[in-house]
Amino acid sequence: MESGALAARFSGARWRFWALVPIIALVGAVSLFATTGDSLLELVGKNPPPADELDIRRVEFRPGEIKVKVTNPQRDDITIATVTVDDAIVPYRLDGDRTLGRLRSTAILVPFDWVPDEPISVGVTSSSGIQTTKEITAAVETPQASARGFLGYGIIGFLVGIVPVALGLAWLPSLRRASPEWLAAFMALTAGLLTFLALEALAEAIDLQAALPSGLGGIGLVLLGVASTYLLLTALSRSFAKGEGVVGGVALATLVAVGIGLHNLGEGLAIGTSFALGELALGSFFVVGFMVHNVTEGLGIAAPIAERGRVRLRRLIALALIAGAPAIPGAWVGGFVTSDVLGVLFFAGAAGAALEVVVEVGRYVARQAPGGLGSRHVLGGYLAGIAVMYVTGLLI
Amino acid sequence: MAKHFTRKQVLAGSLPFVAAAPLAKLAWPSTARGGSDHSALHKGDAHAYVGHAAMIGEEVPAPGGPHAQDKALFPPAPLPHKPGRIREYNLFALDHTIEVAQGVHFEAWSYNGSVPGPIIRATEDDLLRVNFTNGGSHPHTIHFHGIHPGNMDGVFETVLPGDSFRYEFPARPAGMQLYHCHATPLKKHIHKGLYGAFIIDPAKPRPPARELVMVMNGYDTDGDGENNFYTVNGRAFYYAKYPIRVKKGELVRVYLANLTEFDLINSLHLHGEFFRYYPTGSTDHFEYTDTVMLCQGERGILEIEFHNTGHFMFHAHQSEFAELGWMGFFDVRD
Repeated sequence: MESGALAARFSGARWRFWALVPIIALVGAVSLFATTGDSLLELVGKNPPPADELDIRRVEFRPGEIKVKVTNPQRDDITIATVTVDDAIVPYRLDGDRTLGRLRSTAILVPFDWVPDEPISVGVTSSSGIQTTKEITAAVETPQASARGFLGYGIIGFLVGIVPVALGLAWLPSLRRASPEWLAAFMALTAGLLTFLALEALAEAIDLQAALPSGLGGIGLVLLGVASTYLLLTALSRSFAKGEGVVGGVALATLVAVGIGLHNLGEGLAIGTSFALGELALGSFFVVGFMVHNVTEGLGIAAPIAERGRVRLRRLIALALIAGAPAIPGAWVGGFVTSDVLGVLFFAGAAGAALEVVVEVGRYVARQAPGGLGSRHVLGGYLAGIAVMYVTGLLI
Repeated sequence: MAKHFTRKQVLAGSLPFVAAAPLAKLAWPSTARGGSDHSALHKGDAHAYVGHAAMIGEEVPAPGGPHAQDKALFPPAPLPHKPGRIREYNLFALDHTIEVAQGVHFEAWSYNGSVPGPIIRATEDDLLRVNFTNGGSHPHTIHFHGIHPGNMDGVFETVLPGDSFRYEFPARPAGMQLYHCHATPLKKHIHKGLYGAFIIDPAKPRPPARELVMVMNGYDTDGDGENNFYTVNGRAFYYAKYPIRVKKGELVRVYLANLTEFDLINSLHLHGEFFRYYPTGSTDHFEYTDTVMLCQGERGILEIEFHNTGHFMFHAHQSEFAELGWMGFFDVRD
């Protein structure tokens, strides 16, 4: 017995050693390639020149000045040579290095009398003559990170996130009187609207990644975001379900709230960014549109609770906060940071979370609904969910 | 069957939408206020503007030192009329990198290492002899504008890398001519920089003058088929950094040519003065103007006598070209 256990442990150690062998070999192979790789590349042809495209991360407008934040997304260095505004070379100064290594950033300060609310384009040309241009829909003075701005974005997040969700939750008393068929229909409606949100967020993430420099690996970033929140919510629902297998009631409502919350994080970001990037009219439309749009989200959270016993008000408030409050930090990040990479991650994450919750709701409806997934109420509810989101989405 | 909703339930159900309306309104006035605040702030700071229309002297971002463009600006002196005299030039095509705007490098193809290439000058009825060697990596030619035999036209005599060719023909007619590579693809060979000025002096000499050559061009540095920079004689904003010095009242003669690729036309506008413009410089007919427009390959001669001292800007009257490098100054002194 004892010698057997020792042998097992010994073989375990050997197993660990052998597991390390591929890694050690890989390190060796990589360093061999790194030292002789150039001659190998010459065998298959000349190395193509670097793209020399900068990533213009953010353009800020201040009275009499434009501030351009750029990052080098490629392996090779990039040297900044000239800066253009609306296709005219302009004097500028740098708040950092002229030559940027991989993923290094600098700020370009251009004294410029920009015209408020008019479109403007900013271009940065590298020493090899490659010009990267960023079009701005409308030049609007960039809000500085002030207490006032902070409060403003906070209120926008509150209006877009918490208020409509809380209002939607007020449907709970009406839902409680509904028959099991109608309740199943509302659950299906929840699934429908979450499907809509997932697709919308995914499309947004894919759109945003397309604009990223190729060095940042756009579509991989989307998959990473989708997979991580999907799996996170799967794990969360497993722990909620315990032995039951299917999550229902408040636990399911919590999952729905988390999914919607992640989505609202992305929405807050979109709104904050549109304000910061000068799509001001779009921003105010956003606020109104999202408020109407998001009222249905509250309904989605209310549906799973409706058939169970009484729920304490404190719990309802918590659910409204989980689903709505992320819009506030989202708006802050969008308004003050404006990073396309974060945008991709946020929206992809929202898509993954919403998809997972669709699966959970589906499971629940399949078990609880009279007539199962194929019943008229469920099919109708699901389609209605998509239709409602589509129609209210037209407002945005 | 589903039971019907009571009126009370319907009312309760619509409550969230009813409540949403006044809340939504909250969003409007706050954003509108933000907008007006901003424009008020902006007006007060208009003085912060640093326009580059006034960009002149050392602060101008232009590549090269004070004499870097002398060879492109000042033509060799004219020689008196002597039919049959041999005027010999040696031209080499080269691949090399040039600085076209401050800090911006362009992989050029050039004649004799500069864009534009050397100024070729002959007097009418001289025998022009141009020994051309292709030191570049692509086939090239030299195509001269003017009157010459078909086998000296730079179209069929493609010179392969490492090969040479001698162009030989009597120089005529008098005027401002030009030369450029005519290998295909033509657009590529021209915009890479294979061109230059070619002056043929008339048998009866033109009045003595302060003579200058200006070749207008552009550079597409990122290969998208649009020029990123425009210059006169090869370097963006060069004559804004180093204004061309002339004397008040003296005759200034500018041999002007347009070799800009991609754009349909280029132009020259002189501030504060008029000049006589002789299209192609081939006749005595002139227009008294301050602005001329040239298509690619078009050229002419300007004769200016400055009435005033001071700095006089000259630039393309396509504002975009001017602000992408095609802008300079005359520094007129007593």
